[in-house]
Amino acid sequence: MSVNLGLAQVSGDFLVAAIVIYSLAVVAFAGDFAFGRPRRAAAAGAAVASSERAAQLATVGAAQGASGSGAAGAPGAPGAPEAVGLADGAQAAPADAGSGGTGSGDAGPGDAVLPARQVPALRAVWEAGPWVRAAVAFSALGILAHLVAVVTRGFAVHRAPWGNMYEFVTALTCVAAIFFCYVMVRYRAWALGVFVMGAVVVALGLAETVIYTAAGPLVPALQSYWLSIHVTAMTLATGIFFVAAVLGVMYLVVERYRARVAAGKAQPGNGLVARIPSAAQLDKLTYRTVVFGFPVWTFGVIAGAIWADQAWGRYWGWDPVETWAFITWVLYACYLHARATAGWRGRRAHYLQLLGFASLTFNMLVVQVFITGMHSYAGVG
Amino acid sequence: MTDVHTPREQAEAQGEETGSFGITETEPDATGSGAETGPSAGWLRWGWRQLTSMRTALVLLFLLALGSVPGSVLPQQGSDPAAVQQYFASHPALAPWLNHLGLFNVFAAPWFAAIYLLLFTSLVGCVVPRTFKLAGSARTPPPRAPRNLRRLPHSASFPSALAPGAAVDAAAAMLGGQRFRLRRPASGDSGHWVSAEKGYLREAGNLLFHLALLGVLVSIALGGLFGYKADKLLVEGQAFSDTLPALDEFHPGRLVSGSDLAPFTLTLDRFSASYLTSGGSRGQPSDFNASVTYSPSPGAPSRTYNIRINDPLPVDSTKVYLIGHGYAPVFRVTDSRGNVAYNEATPFIPANTGTFLSDGVVKAPDASLGFMGVFVPTAVSVGGTLESAFPAADFPAVSLIGYSGNLGMNSGVPQSVYQLNTAGMTKISGSPRLMLPGQTWTLPGGRGAITFVGVKQWVSLAITYDPGQVPALVCGMLALGGLLVSFLVRRRRVFVRAVPAASGGGSVVTVGGLARTDASGGFEEEFAELAAELAAQQKPEPNNQSEAGA
Repeated sequence: MSVNLGLAQVSGDFLVAAIVIYSLAVVAFAGDFAFGRPRRAAAAGAAVASSERAAQLATVGAAQGASGSGAAGAPGAPGAPEAVGLADGAQAAPADAGSGGTGSGDAGPGDAVLPARQVPALRAVWEAGPWVRAAVAFSALGILAHLVAVVTRGFAVHRAPWGNMYEFVTALTCVAAIFFCYVMVRYRAWALGVFVMGAVVVALGLAETVIYTAAGPLVPALQSYWLSIHVTAMTLATGIFFVAAVLGVMYLVVERYRARVAAGKAQPGNGLVARIPSAAQLDKLTYRTVVFGFPVWTFGVIAGAIWADQAWGRYWGWDPVETWAFITWVLYACYLHARATAGWRGRRAHYLQLLGFASLTFNMLVVQVFITGMHSYAGVG
Repeated sequence: MTDVHTPREQAEAQGEETGSFGITETEPDATGSGAETGPSAGWLRWGWRQLTSMRTALVLLFLLALGSVPGSVLPQQGSDPAAVQQYFASHPALAPWLNHLGLFNVFAAPWFAAIYLLLFTSLVGCVVPRTFKLAGSARTPPPRAPRNLRRLPHSASFPSALAPGAAVDAAAAMLGGQRFRLRRPASGDSGHWVSAEKGYLREAGNLLFHLALLGVLVSIALGGLFGYKADKLLVEGQAFSDTLPALDEFHPGRLVSGSDLAPFTLTLDRFSASYLTSGGSRGQPSDFNASVTYSPSPGAPSRTYNIRINDPLPVDSTKVYLIGHGYAPVFRVTDSRGNVAYNEATPFIPANTGTFLSDGVVKAPDASLGFMGVFVPTAVSVGGTLESAFPAADFPAVSLIGYSGNLGMNSGVPQSVYQLNTAGMTKISGSPRLMLPGQTWTLPGGRGAITFVGVKQWVSLAITYDPGQVPALVCGMLALGGLLVSFLVRRRRVFVRAVPAASGGGSVVTVGGLARTDASGGFEEEFAELAAELAAQQKPEPNNQSEAGA
């Protein structure tokens, strides 16, 4: 079947539109960063109020945590990030500024002290202020345009639209944007938007300028329904790990700042870091993101093995791309195990996670393009 | 405020620890001593503890990743032996050293095997004891409720209209209805409480994942022992039977011999390749199709099949794959007396897989003639040099360099069919000679003649048998299933205590919650729901509420 050039043109136009709209979202996220209400202070204040109200009878562990950091006036206050792990409530949702009170209002009568239930997502977005509202709206619009671009590309070439590097990057950034917006709304992590969506814009811009490949049919080796299974899983997993990597870098920044404050080398209350979620929260978010991505990657590798058996007569042959997929898998497994071991937690575990993403990126951008193997389908150059 | 958890309450509520391969919040104790069994046994035990500790496993896992790197950067004997030879030629000083370290065959190297065998030993040493532990813990009830539930990571309290005993009974009934395992105070105990635990499947999933990985390793070994891989190059019109002498290459498993081959015969009727004729990726292949006729066993009726990439031919338990293709120009060579000394399709090896410019040789020892040739499917002249413009045979041509003399084929030294040893031969004048199909080159000096009869195509087929394939797939899926279970199921404990209210007939109920591992998150929401449900269940009457609120 021949390529539908009209649809391919539509796809390209929508992708450019997506890049522009995403850029507007990044500007709005940055605006929130610069001019938005200092939510953390507000949130901590609310937590202080609520914990004072409840202090005489019982206290929720996390409310203590939030009031502790609120009293110190900074997220990087010594000790606060030590509350790793099972913190809840205010720790997991720092942006629930006004909702701390409203949430517990319906919890029970009298002295009942019940953990607050979550505010609905849309209301949380609304309460986060005009900059966040605009940023979320732009992100949603951008994702819509991005999805249209990916789908029309698929219809233009009559197959799953991830048959070469350009299409792969286009699809994986779409996954990253959708997954990140879910994480952002789920955990009210508005401050992460400028970083993740910024990275998405940069990746898409590079795809459009450096590795653009015109729509075309596939080589026979890729003409299989396994393309839609194996590469879809790999695209999903890469998009998820992409988000985890950005979170990991931010964790390292926040953690370094915290250490510097603890050592007396930096002033607490630094404007930029104060707006990012706490190190403990970033750590937990990263872990959950990797936990979500790891089985998807595992499935992708297994699907790839089945396809390799069908196409090449062996399910595993240590082809360079297979080898690096294995290395990536092992490094993420290292991270998951390391996080369970006391001595390897925190920064060291994050280095492992970032090493995993580095190997994934190396596989995608260097091995598939420059090292000859059976996976040389990138179509770049 | 450095820690929200109170160590004592935490430890009490956590109960027993799990081993290193569980993704748990605690590190296994690696400091025990075996002093009472003597020093050497103590050392052994210490060594075993070290090997099965999480830290060792982590280091081994990391080494496994690190050790794989050279396997992708350096050419490997298993996948591309020609590239290894080339590497030896271009790095004569370095290559032997790398070879000593097994870096050209990383995935079969002893040191690589040592890493993964140690890792799997470490894994077994951890998983097997834990299987017993899991079986044991499935029968033991959850631990007693800690004294102060408010110090647990999740806690809530609410007034109840019921007396303490009844309030706890009601809570226990609700938790039991949600398939929590319960523990109530023994008859002699004071206080009203219930401990509830759920999510034992998490550990089972974790175990399944690690055991399934072992299964994958065993499956790979199975394939290495009983499987085989063979290659055969076949020109259109040719047939072969799957026997040892007929195969070009045979890589048997350790316990496989030639008699284990599937006894099928196969004829390549036709091979067709189509390429894109326009656009930016002009020349890119769009379809390969090898039409074959085969018979699964001697005497069985023959059938036809189209072998394509992604669509191998299954025969018995083996599969026949299309892994390569090329052109085989047909030549007829006559000697000085006019006798036909050679009349065959001659497979040429593609030197450029984009344009299919191919190299090959024609050896006619009976006529004392040899030719080195270049074949182009679509001939163009680029500055006087013969080049191919397109991979399809639209305008085929060959350029031959002729040699006469002794080809040295009776000297006993084996020769490649793709190389001509011109040491004892003289170049025939008029070389190189460009020929189109049907043309004949009458060699000077009455040495004979060569005719470029036409062009056929060849395919290279791989015949593979791997009995470990299905077990490996099953184990892989089991590992994935175990992984999902261990990530999605969280093991969590909920404790409920009730004390009489300060005034009135009701009680004050405290609920504490603890997720032992909360990889995918969500326990806080679950706990909040649970606490709200419990509170609603025992909601006091409005008049009680005002009393309790006072």
